[in-house]
Amino acid sequence: MPPLPDPKGVFLNIPYDQEFSSLYVAYIVGLCHLGLIPHLASELPGGERRLDRIFKLIQSCRYSIHDLSRVELSVAPTAVPRFNMPLELGMTITWQKLHPSRHNWYVWESERHRIQKSASDLDGTDANIHDGTPEGILRELSNALWHDHMPSVPKMIDNYRFVHNNLNAILLRNGTSNPYDRSAFMELCRISTALADLSRMTKPSV
Amino acid sequence: MREPIHITTPWPTPEEWAKYYPISKESEKAVQALVDEFKAMHPNREDETVNSAEPEKRRKRASAA
Repeated sequence: MPPLPDPKGVFLNIPYDQEFSSLYVAYIVGLCHLGLIPHLASELPGGERRLDRIFKLIQSCRYSIHDLSRVELSVAPTAVPRFNMPLELGMTITWQKLHPSRHNWYVWESERHRIQKSASDLDGTDANIHDGTPEGILRELSNALWHDHMPSVPKMIDNYRFVHNNLNAILLRNGTSNPYDRSAFMELCRISTALADLSRMTKPSV
Repeated sequence: MREPIHITTPWPTPEEWAKYYPISKESEKAVQALVDEFKAMHPNREDETVNSAEPEKRRKRASAA
């Protein structure tokens, strides 16, 4: 049996494409503003088989978010459906069914009712609908999870915009054009956590 | 809609954040510069967050759900 999951850990199962990058930044900013620790498969060092590394990461996190908003065909000439997100969601559901107290998973979509068509077996699952916008991601995060110290959604949106405005500088500094690269992810998390610390509720009402 | 989950784990300390997300010294400096820039743009941000009723509103909303 693997060790108990990190109670602050959140596995982010999202598409790694440029068009998704603003939503990706919103997930990072939002989760950090909930006092949580976002994790990505790309942060893991190589060596083991990728699927094994991802499964270990899922097991190590108390929560996971599975964004199925980009399950459509890719734009490449040899377009194929994108199965990675549903595959990792399936692994997570199995893990949670076997160990219900260890994990909570969430399905996110941009369009209401589409999940009933794309993955009808998930019927009965309340998906969080983010409308394909960063503001929607932050709104839905605050609907799904809350922490006494979390700031208001408008403050989170304000902080998201600051981080996103600095995304290109972060990529340049890390010598990459890929925001999902480990180094860019780490730096995005660090700036997000610093802003979360500045913006958090310091005296929650009890 | 699913009832929101109340995260009760303590807020991570700066040391904890740093342990989870290790970055180079150069990046540390760059992050600090961004934080300073943000503070200059939002001089009252820390004061704004004190004594807000937001957590109480959320608690009521969650218990009503």
